[in-house]
Amino acid sequence: MPYLGGDDAVRELRRALSNPNVQSDPLRYRNTILKVIRSMSQGVDVSGLFSEMVKACATVDIVQKKLVYVFLCSYAALNPELSLLVINTLRKDCQDPNPMVPHHTRYPPLVEYVEQPLTAGLRDRAACVRRVAILGWAKLYNLQPTSEIDASVVNELYSLLRDPDPVVIVNCLRALEEILKEEGGVAINKPITHHLLNRLKECDVWGQCDILRVLQRYKPQSDDELFDILSLLDASLVSPHPPVMAATLSLFLHLCPDLPAVSQAALERVRGPLLAACGSASREMRFTALCHIQLLLRSLPGLMGAHYKRFFCGYAEPAYIKQRKMQVLVELVNDENVVMLLDELKGYCTDVNADTAQAAISAIGRIGRSYSDRCLEILTGLLGLKQDHITSAVVQTMRDLVWVCPQCSDTVCVALEGCEETLQDSQGRQALLWLLGVYGERVSSAPYTLEVFIDGVRSEASLGVKMELLTTAMRLFLCRPAETQDMLGRLLHYCIEEETDMCVRDQALLYYRLLHCGIEETRKVLHGPRSDPSLGVLIGRPAEPISQWASSFNTLEPLRQVAVETESVSRGSPEHVTTDLSVTLSGCRVHDVRSGDLSPSPALSPEEFERLWLQRQEDFVRLEERVRCPAVPHCSPQSLQAAMQLLNIQTLAFTPPHALPWRVYLYTHTQHTHSEDTLCRTLILGELLLKVTLQQQPRDDEALRGFLSILTSVLHTLTPESE
Amino acid sequence: MIHSLFLVNASGDIFLEKHWKSVVSRSVCDYFFEAQERATEPENVPPVIPTPHHYLISVLRHRIYFVAVIQSEVPPLFVIEFLHRVVDTFQDYFGVCTEAAIKDNVVVVYELLEEMLDNGFPLATESNILKELIKPPTILRTMVNTITGSTITAEIQGVIDACVKLTGMPDLTLSFMNPRLLDDVSFHPCVRFKRWEAERILSFIPPDGNFRLLSYHVSSQNLVAIPVYVKHNITFREGSSQGRFDLTLGPKQTMGKAVESVLVSSQLPRGVLNANLNPSQGTYTFDPVTKMLSWDVGKINPQKLPSLKGTMSLQAGASKPDENPTINIQLKIQQMAISGLKVNRLDMYGEKYKPFKGIKYMTKAGKFQVRT
Repeated sequence: MPYLGGDDAVRELRRALSNPNVQSDPLRYRNTILKVIRSMSQGVDVSGLFSEMVKACATVDIVQKKLVYVFLCSYAALNPELSLLVINTLRKDCQDPNPMVPHHTRYPPLVEYVEQPLTAGLRDRAACVRRVAILGWAKLYNLQPTSEIDASVVNELYSLLRDPDPVVIVNCLRALEEILKEEGGVAINKPITHHLLNRLKECDVWGQCDILRVLQRYKPQSDDELFDILSLLDASLVSPHPPVMAATLSLFLHLCPDLPAVSQAALERVRGPLLAACGSASREMRFTALCHIQLLLRSLPGLMGAHYKRFFCGYAEPAYIKQRKMQVLVELVNDENVVMLLDELKGYCTDVNADTAQAAISAIGRIGRSYSDRCLEILTGLLGLKQDHITSAVVQTMRDLVWVCPQCSDTVCVALEGCEETLQDSQGRQALLWLLGVYGERVSSAPYTLEVFIDGVRSEASLGVKMELLTTAMRLFLCRPAETQDMLGRLLHYCIEEETDMCVRDQALLYYRLLHCGIEETRKVLHGPRSDPSLGVLIGRPAEPISQWASSFNTLEPLRQVAVETESVSRGSPEHVTTDLSVTLSGCRVHDVRSGDLSPSPALSPEEFERLWLQRQEDFVRLEERVRCPAVPHCSPQSLQAAMQLLNIQTLAFTPPHALPWRVYLYTHTQHTHSEDTLCRTLILGELLLKVTLQQQPRDDEALRGFLSILTSVLHTLTPESE
Repeated sequence: MIHSLFLVNASGDIFLEKHWKSVVSRSVCDYFFEAQERATEPENVPPVIPTPHHYLISVLRHRIYFVAVIQSEVPPLFVIEFLHRVVDTFQDYFGVCTEAAIKDNVVVVYELLEEMLDNGFPLATESNILKELIKPPTILRTMVNTITGSTITAEIQGVIDACVKLTGMPDLTLSFMNPRLLDDVSFHPCVRFKRWEAERILSFIPPDGNFRLLSYHVSSQNLVAIPVYVKHNITFREGSSQGRFDLTLGPKQTMGKAVESVLVSSQLPRGVLNANLNPSQGTYTFDPVTKMLSWDVGKINPQKLPSLKGTMSLQAGASKPDENPTINIQLKIQQMAISGLKVNRLDMYGEKYKPFKGIKYMTKAGKFQVRT
């Protein structure tokens, strides 16, 4: 939203600032400067007033001086040549006996002119001057990151880490982190670590967080030292300030990746503070705490078991919190609380917010994978409400559920009768059609329902529904030919002769030609994938090692995943869509490992794979990489498998679609000619999750990189196929 | 760490922005507005919104979104807690944290934000430290720039009346939170002037009963906060015997205290024969002889601002009056001294018993005129 009339306002302000009458009246002069600041706050570009404002700097009025420096700090970078005008005043101000004057100058980044006052500022007696002078260096560096910062300044900053003032210490750390970004930030050695830890208590909340974050880079030299540090940090772990608590836990996890017992104890220790943060008055805080609890649950599923009632939703809570709480509740379900949890979730299904209601319904569906009878009862009951969005969500949930638990299909088939009347949105109708196609022989009214759809195909707007309708009609024809033949003929005729969308027309033509090949061929094609109950082994989420997520703790990562999950509402039928595998190619260098270098033989049995996968650590090289395709590969596991086989990568196991996290296990052998004639053979085991985890034996970085680049390019080529 | 801050109201307007590093274009908030449109309820806007180059982390309080623009990975709890601290500070300074209060005090807001963050890092966030650096606005600092124009002159004349009923020879000392406010004072003879000069403490042996301990004067050198604003529209048309009269009052900067006993009076021009007005609250009278309009408003309810609207009939054939009427306002505010003067403590020496102590603040309008 551009600020209109900004030019006029600036012109007027310039006239006022340069009017001698205004300049001679301190009150009017100051009022005009206030107007400039006010315009700034409205987003008007007042950088044109730089030279006028520079003059206003020479005043004894400390408030006016402060405001002018606020202005100068914002615009100094844009007006390097005019900055010369202010340097005399700045030098004078920086030597002012009242420490507040240099404090308020904030050392605008005026390139070389400001260096001398800054150097003096570092040695000032007043702490408030040192504080801002230190950050002044960081500003100067940000302005011209290419220029070398004098080594003596860096040394001086290092020595100021031992300053008596805690804010000076923290600012030094912050400034050094920025200035030494290229070298990986401030150097953390043993004396500095212990010094910082000892001064930790004196700092404010923000300073403590920053110190704890920087210390993550420290590697204790001995176990004794490690435990000394941990016991020093113990009090911060249960700090009443959530940011400090989170920063401390993060440091704990970084310090002892090899001591799972210690990390686990730390997680249990923060349970109390985290739960308290979940009950905080600030909804944003509650939300963030919930997201972090989800991370913890990945490794310690039982951590919050006793406290499941803390995750019941309040009536007036925002939708994003409710949806997160439901995700947590699904994780916490067990034999004892399942009745109560389902009862609670049932209450959310009728939430006024349609998204929340749908999230509640799909949460019940997730629980249904372990407690199918109870959940199906609730879901069937919800159909009785005849609410458009609820019915749609229930039908979609049932579709997902029968794919994983085929034993539910009888109940689902009974429930489907009559719900086509309430369904409005395309997602829901698509799910219904899919169910009718797969279980058509068991739903007595299926042909009649289908007929209604076929009669209305002319006015159908959704492409997805039309495609699904074609497939369903074909499938139903295979199992109930007498009832369906006529309407299938009409549908194919319409789609081939009148339909304008090429996808639909091609699909119809394909089916038409397929029918020409004979009924057995058709059956073979259409009765492709059925869900495989044997994959159910992978449903129960195994406890992950803490190191899987330790690096994303206390970052924006766990909060961001919501965005991905909530946007994945649009889904197709299970065999077409695997759950969001969000994978991108992030700076993956392409090596010249061709797929010819890979080979799936000798074959690896699943048991062997599991043994190797779990033994890992010692003799395996481990690599984790986030690979993300902007659009999820909307391809079936079969096509993924086929594509992988083409490149000699053997896929070993898939989770059922819609299982979260969706994952694939795969392996391959690489043969790689290293220099001249040494032939290296390595075995690569991989897990494809939201990220790719690879294990290799023996180590060969280049081969591993090459494999990764092949893998990512496969994933990429699969993406556009479905779009 | 925190690159910029935008304040967005419920209808999706940015009404304040502050940048600590370089200026980030407002267009970054478009992502926020999209999320705001999608959300059915204001509180359903997700607190973290990723954009291609930045993250937007927001908190919603008092129907205002505080949107922080972040350029690199940060601990989210840190930013959220910090934003809440900013809101708490505003509330502490202005009594309420509303769009109007922030806009009225935009310069103080800017000073606060500059002090709370330097180069994007938290600097001073403790209330007591901030108050040493930046005085809260009621202490004569608010710049008055109402819709109706600027304040021409304003001053505060205050008194401290004491009622002392203590036996014996009690020696009292009274200290102020902010004695520097008082630059022009006159004391009751019992006050030891030397002590005031040296320490800015009132030390005295009081007479019995009621007496005026001190009267003071705060000049317009530092502008005075005006507790109410007046929106008016008084027009006469040439050749018509009708005139329009439209007046609305509203409170501002009263630290949440009610404005009471409001009485508005205005001397209408000679040509006005009668006024036919409709007050939203209170009663009004118009004296056709003296042409004095007076409106007894009573208490101002900030949710429903009092207004007086209607028409004035003019003498037929008379030309349009060329003077603009002046509006005089009387008002009272309990439990608040508009100067911001606050008593810190009162101690008694020389006697053994424990005295009963109490203090009552009150603001009264002296001569409050609004030109139209």
